[in-house]
Amino acid sequence: MKTMRFLLTKLAGMIAVLLLVSLATYLIFYILPADPARTECGRLCTPSELRAVRAFMGLAQPVWRQYLDFLAAIFAGRTYGTGPGSIVCSAPCLGYSFQQNRTVLSLIGQTLPVTASIALGAAAAWLVAGTAAGVISALRRGTATDRVVMTTAIVGVSAPSYLVGLLAILLFGFKLNILPVSGYVSLLQSPAQWAFHLILPWCTLAFISAAIYGRLTRSQMLDALGEDYVRTARAKGLLERRVVVRHALRNVMIPIITMFGLDVGALLGGAVITEKVYSMYGLGALLIGAVQTTDLSTISGVTLLAAVFVVVANFLVDLTYKLLDPRV
Amino acid sequence: MRKHILLPGAAAVALTALLAACGGANNTSGSGTPTIAPADKGGTLTILDSETTLTLDPAQSWSLAVTSSGLLWRRLTTWKIAPTGAPEVVPDLATSDGTPSDGGRVWTYHLKSGIYFSNGQPITSYDVKYGIERTYAPALSGGLNYQKPLIAGTAGYTGPFSGKQLSSIVTPNSKTIIFHLNKPYGDWPWVVSTTSMAPVPEGKAPAATFGDHPITSGPYAVQSYTPGNSAILVRNKYWNAATDPNRSGGPDKIIWELNQDPTVEAQTLIADGPNAENSFGADFVPPAQLAQVENDPSAKARLVTSPASPLEYVAVNMQSPKLKNLKVREALEYAINRQSVVVASGGPIAAEPATTLITPGIAGREPYNLYPAGSAGEPAKAKTLLTQAGVHNLTITLATPNDPISTAISQAIQQAYSAAGIKVVIKSLSENAWGALVTGNSASGYDLALSSWQPDFPSAMDNIEPLFASDMIGNGNYNVSRLDDPKVDALIDRAEGTINQAAAGKIWAQADKAVMADAAVVPLVYNRNSFLRGSNVQNFYIGEFPAYPVYTAVSLKQ
Repeated sequence: MKTMRFLLTKLAGMIAVLLLVSLATYLIFYILPADPARTECGRLCTPSELRAVRAFMGLAQPVWRQYLDFLAAIFAGRTYGTGPGSIVCSAPCLGYSFQQNRTVLSLIGQTLPVTASIALGAAAAWLVAGTAAGVISALRRGTATDRVVMTTAIVGVSAPSYLVGLLAILLFGFKLNILPVSGYVSLLQSPAQWAFHLILPWCTLAFISAAIYGRLTRSQMLDALGEDYVRTARAKGLLERRVVVRHALRNVMIPIITMFGLDVGALLGGAVITEKVYSMYGLGALLIGAVQTTDLSTISGVTLLAAVFVVVANFLVDLTYKLLDPRV
Repeated sequence: MRKHILLPGAAAVALTALLAACGGANNTSGSGTPTIAPADKGGTLTILDSETTLTLDPAQSWSLAVTSSGLLWRRLTTWKIAPTGAPEVVPDLATSDGTPSDGGRVWTYHLKSGIYFSNGQPITSYDVKYGIERTYAPALSGGLNYQKPLIAGTAGYTGPFSGKQLSSIVTPNSKTIIFHLNKPYGDWPWVVSTTSMAPVPEGKAPAATFGDHPITSGPYAVQSYTPGNSAILVRNKYWNAATDPNRSGGPDKIIWELNQDPTVEAQTLIADGPNAENSFGADFVPPAQLAQVENDPSAKARLVTSPASPLEYVAVNMQSPKLKNLKVREALEYAINRQSVVVASGGPIAAEPATTLITPGIAGREPYNLYPAGSAGEPAKAKTLLTQAGVHNLTITLATPNDPISTAISQAIQQAYSAAGIKVVIKSLSENAWGALVTGNSASGYDLALSSWQPDFPSAMDNIEPLFASDMIGNGNYNVSRLDDPKVDALIDRAEGTINQAAAGKIWAQADKAVMADAAVVPLVYNRNSFLRGSNVQNFYIGEFPAYPVYTAVSLKQ
């Protein structure tokens, strides 16, 4: 009962957040000085042609009506225009990109695997590397190892991702010529090439994020190692490895997992800079392109999807919390 | 052509070149005029492009006749672009560049024999008509559209999908097409060379899906296309080279790699590794990499730079209350320091001072300078003009896109006008915001606007009419100066209606001078664009127009 109430409350909150995000996107877009119908109307657009294009795109309606049409289309689909020249967007319809002549869902279907490949691979790498570095640094506090690890972490935290990416391309792609510098190969097409093309993007993202996680893990670990329960565990004669991993690290992971979940959720909405540097067309690149071309449908659809990732990530983090910490 | 700020998918005109080379007016490959080799057949060409999408429905394409669309679609006419000499309009699918009658209101074309689509279907006049009619559908209205206001009887027409046809495009048989225009129009041969006029198999091109699997008429067909990733073009086996002397059809296959980072793209081409030898870049070489090319003889030899062509200018808002007085506007003409704008653009070999609106390479251009003030300007004369106008402490707003080059140019303008006692407030905006402000229906919000322009086809009409005709004010159109001068309109109408191109050129030159006499615009510089190719790419050159390589001539050494 308590669990059911928890789940229903969370679900209601998630839906409310998604509605707010989508509404905010629509309102912000209409405040901006851009006209997607004018962009679609082409060169030498006359006022009558502009009216026809605006009506076709569904933009002649009041903003509130356009927003409701957008929401309704998610469940019922929609049709742009009438007659033989109309364009049908089947449910679940997140909109139609007139710039790319594709449904937003198909664009997401194409770009999401790219972003997911970058994000999940990099996330696994930075979690393992960052946590390990932080633990090692904490256990060897004050030693040369600690200083080297933390100095590297500072570099990682400070370096702009664009610069790191370009330097990696220059070194490994051009100078050493051992890794590809651009392009995405689908996992289904060739798992080996898929991974090969992702090594540099993974390392770029992981280097920067691992630095942050390393510093956080070190700080949390130092606190945990000073706690009474750790002293008790050592006094009981447990092996140091067991003390560190089963006792200290388990508590340290609670805030780490919280941050990890949020970071992955946000990254799934698009690793913009990494995608751009490595010429990978993921959600981030799709969204930036849509903003540049005032493609409202794509902006709304991708923003809503990104919000879904964040709220779901939050929800999963809350669930994981209960597993990691029985007191919750 | 498109102003970089206004168009989706447009290449950034703002990135100009720091150039090595000869600095000559013609395009160079680092060592003088390139020689054109006979086009070898074979190989796979790779084009590296920062764009994330390609528009594969001709109704919506803004591509130039000799770049991407020239590889896929033929039109009734096309452009003949040589490394030197003026561009020409020449027959493509048609047997001539058009036969005018009724004073230029009617244009007749006869199609060649032996012309086919990529599905093996013969190309007929009905297909040409259908392709043009499609451009009137709201779903497909995003193209260049020069033909739309010219073809007679199109008011309220919304395309052929409901079964309605245009009676003003007559096809008495499969080989003849006759256009009835609503006024005499001497540039019609250029208009039919635009991509919107490409034929499409009649009845087989739905609005929503034709661009996914287009049926082409040029030397290549689309094998696959993934937005943000790549497009693969393969030989159109039905393309008849004997009917198409304007395209090399050299490579067997073309891989269009999209979504490239311009810096990485340039580095790849500079390195000229095994993956880059058969490639060229569709983007301007960034300034940082141009400096690198300068010190790399191998890369320098593979750099191609356009003649100075696209015009960078300041549009003077004629509806601004502060600029109503002609003497005030003339002061702006005299005060400008073009030398500092050249420096801000990237140096003397990246741009050269401009004094006319018709740009180099366009027939009919007459060099002149209505406000001879030297390249550094004459702030003293500007002050005198302001005093004569009774204007003191003038403060005006300059709207500019916020890319680095435009920002640098704006600051140069600000400094130049400051020397003449004119305070310039720079309003730096994103491209979309800039476009919405200066092409919108309200004249308020700016006094000056920094802009640039290259025509969509090499006619003086496209230097003047879109920018200065009174019916191009607002509604997203490009008369950013908001010039409404009946004298200029009359010259535009007369020039457009003159069929003899030499005579039309003289009238366009008059229109150029009339706009400058109004001081509605301050021409700044003509820009140059630079591109890199791999070592195995041949016939990669830029003519006098456009300021882009001629993709349809490129081949690979075999």
